[in-house]
Amino acid sequence: MLRKFRDSVIEKIIFICGILSIVFVVLIFGFLFKEGISFFKEYGIFEFLLGKYWYPTSDPAAYGVLSLIVGSVLVTLGATIIAVPLGIMTALYISEIAPKGIRDVLKSLVELMAAIPSVVIGFVGMVTLVPLVKALFNVPTGLTAFSGSIMLAFMAMPTIVSISEDAIRSVPWQYKEGAYALGATKWQTIRRIVLKAAMPGIIAAVMLGIGRVIGETMAVMMITGNAAHIPSSIFEPVRTLTATIAAEMGETVKGGLHYKALFGIGLVLFSITFIINFIADLFLNKNKKR
Amino acid sequence: MVDKIKVNNLCCFYGGKEVISSLNINVVKNEILSIIGPSNSGKTSFLRTLNRMNDMNVNFSRKGNIFLDDENIFDMNPENLRKRVGMLFAMPIPLPMSIYDNISYAPKRLGIASNRNMDEVVEKSLRDSSLWDEVKDRLNSSAIKLSGGQQQRLCIARILAIEPEVILFDEPCSGLDPISTAKVEEAMLKLKEKYTIVLVTNNVKQASRVGTRTAFFLMGELVEIDNTAKLFVSPRDKRTGDYITGRFG
Repeated sequence: MLRKFRDSVIEKIIFICGILSIVFVVLIFGFLFKEGISFFKEYGIFEFLLGKYWYPTSDPAAYGVLSLIVGSVLVTLGATIIAVPLGIMTALYISEIAPKGIRDVLKSLVELMAAIPSVVIGFVGMVTLVPLVKALFNVPTGLTAFSGSIMLAFMAMPTIVSISEDAIRSVPWQYKEGAYALGATKWQTIRRIVLKAAMPGIIAAVMLGIGRVIGETMAVMMITGNAAHIPSSIFEPVRTLTATIAAEMGETVKGGLHYKALFGIGLVLFSITFIINFIADLFLNKNKKR
Repeated sequence: MVDKIKVNNLCCFYGGKEVISSLNINVVKNEILSIIGPSNSGKTSFLRTLNRMNDMNVNFSRKGNIFLDDENIFDMNPENLRKRVGMLFAMPIPLPMSIYDNISYAPKRLGIASNRNMDEVVEKSLRDSSLWDEVKDRLNSSAIKLSGGQQQRLCIARILAIEPEVILFDEPCSGLDPISTAKVEEAMLKLKEKYTIVLVTNNVKQASRVGTRTAFFLMGELVEIDNTAKLFVSPRDKRTGDYITGRFG
């Protein structure tokens, strides 16, 4: 009797814990939606999404978010272009090529990289990378989208490396042996068999890496220069969606239009990450079905 | 009687432990040499040394030489060797792609067949491995969905597509039912006309059914090798007799 009772209580507790995470997500989304929608009603969704000027404190205020979206996309794209090939190749080296001693050292170093707080990365970037970019490319300021991309690539790397490394390592060794037995060289085996079999895992790793980059706030706020305008090259300062919310939230009047506009930005950010996750899911399922 | 493979004083070690001791054996061209023996007798180690699959094991070392058509295989580039000496494993390992791609993978890469006559190569390989009739209508479906016996014959076809000279079978039927086994054996007997085959098997009856000659390994030593009919009817060594009649092993 008592045992049965205890069983059902424990079952309920586990159920509540499980359901809680869903409830939180729904609550966050609902809150974001409520504030965001009321802003769209007041200001107009097209003016918001397609407006080029983000002047929340002028009179009349302009809340055009396009330049911020361009900033976020530009920085993320740059970081992806740098981090994805580098990350996958690092993962391949660690799991397939490196001798055991080097592999262990490299793997723990990469995992250590993931533990560096983003403020520290931003700070280091600010004092080392920013002057370098300024001198190297002869631009008026080193606080550019390019510098932000490089620093964010650093932050996406550990995620991409460790998850794709797991995926590559879990390719059955029989696959490799089968390829070797047909006279394939090591590189051919890696390219045609290992990479192909590990592809779903690698795509998931890349998507998680991109997710980390697009949501990153502190480092980009410190390095990208925070100029809310549409840049004509990656060597110009940009401002991202996340940095805008972080920088301005403290100065707004609760319930005011500016306050609500920041929720609108949150909603845009949420939609972007949702789409990325959705695409990743599509890829994963497609691969599973095959 | 031309020797395809000649083994001189081969000793193999895993981490210092001897698994094959001074082995001298030859494989005649166009024969099926069956190797029988209990587990740990070194028969699979021997097979994996023949196409240097053991090279990838860091604990492995060996002494002695193996000659393929009078060429020392340890002086050859392992990829070229494996192209000439194909291997089939106990577990069928279809690559995660379609039936067609499984077979065209190696020829495409090794430049044997151009894309134009790839269809021919695929069909010929599948016919030679007695699989063509069962899969000809679904060459583009995934190889993973085939049954165990079909997968094993697909793996044979995959090896045939690179036109090797020797094929090594490592317990090819250990996971198959009797009917699938019969089909694989049928394919093997057909292949004997063109290829030289070395078959390692735990199934003594299989050795007696397909082997031209049969060798009996015990504890890393070659106890006896003879024509299959002779070895099974009147073995010279008592241990061979005990093993094939099922008294131990």
